[in-house]
Amino acid sequence: MTEIRKLDLAWLGLVALSVIGATLGGRPDTGFGVTVLVALVMGIKVRIVCDRFLELPTARRGIRLAMHGFCYGMPVLVILTSAFGDTLARLTGALI
Amino acid sequence: MRSRSRFQALPVSYAAPLTDAPPATGRIPGSKAMWVGIFCEVTEFALMFAVYFIARAHHPEVFRAGPERLSLLAGTGYTLMLLTSGWCVARALHAMRAGRQKASLRWLLGAFVFGLGYPVIKLIEVRWNLAHGLNGDAGVFIVTYYYLTFNHLIHVFWGLLGMIWVMLRTGTGSYSADEHSGLEAFACYWHATDIIWLMIFPLFYVLR
Repeated sequence: MTEIRKLDLAWLGLVALSVIGATLGGRPDTGFGVTVLVALVMGIKVRIVCDRFLELPTARRGIRLAMHGFCYGMPVLVILTSAFGDTLARLTGALI
Repeated sequence: MRSRSRFQALPVSYAAPLTDAPPATGRIPGSKAMWVGIFCEVTEFALMFAVYFIARAHHPEVFRAGPERLSLLAGTGYTLMLLTSGWCVARALHAMRAGRQKASLRWLLGAFVFGLGYPVIKLIEVRWNLAHGLNGDAGVFIVTYYYLTFNHLIHVFWGLLGMIWVMLRTGTGSYSADEHSGLEAFACYWHATDIIWLMIFPLFYVLR
């Protein structure tokens, strides 16, 4: 498969995942499973943009690690905040 | 550091069929200066996301009900516009690597049109929000939402200005298959801005 073909497929995949993400937003249930699914979709989309559009696999290790830290940290934080929101509120109580 | 094509010693006509391969590994895509800027942007948004998570932890019910107050259609529209614009920029870069400057300019024009869709949707959404009473007094969720999304809008504006610049440079033949580090640096910025939106979208429009 050519690089351009991969790029086009990446874009199609991103559009499909965005529509799936929007569908999740229209659901009335607010369970933890939905939160994990939303975080997963976020992580996959960000990974596709990093790999295909930003060409991060060809970048220096430092750039790659920093960007991956940010990109994977966010979905993990979404899940952690959902699971341990009370603890975070207690720890940051003095801020608000 | 300038981006150096592996085809620099080849005439463009020979380089074109060979350019459908990823660039060499271990490089700095675009320029070092642009990556300093991108990491500043990432740090700025990381702090704003921290504010979001702390506010969410303190007001879970408000944040769970928040997405219902916003237009999911607008949120999806921004996402599709930015993703399509980013795809056009990536195609423009591939075309430039193949020595096809005119095709590169056409892809950049497409990227600009889709990129402009973002502020247009923003204008419509803000009017819709205000008509529904979603102003600065509408609670912590809406304030956090405006805080993050308007900051992101500013970064999109910088990107659109940058895009005009690289279009001018491409149109005047300043970039070639050998030397197009400016275009690549811009592409990195635009994709980083795209990545940040892909995080903002679920936080405000999807997650309950």
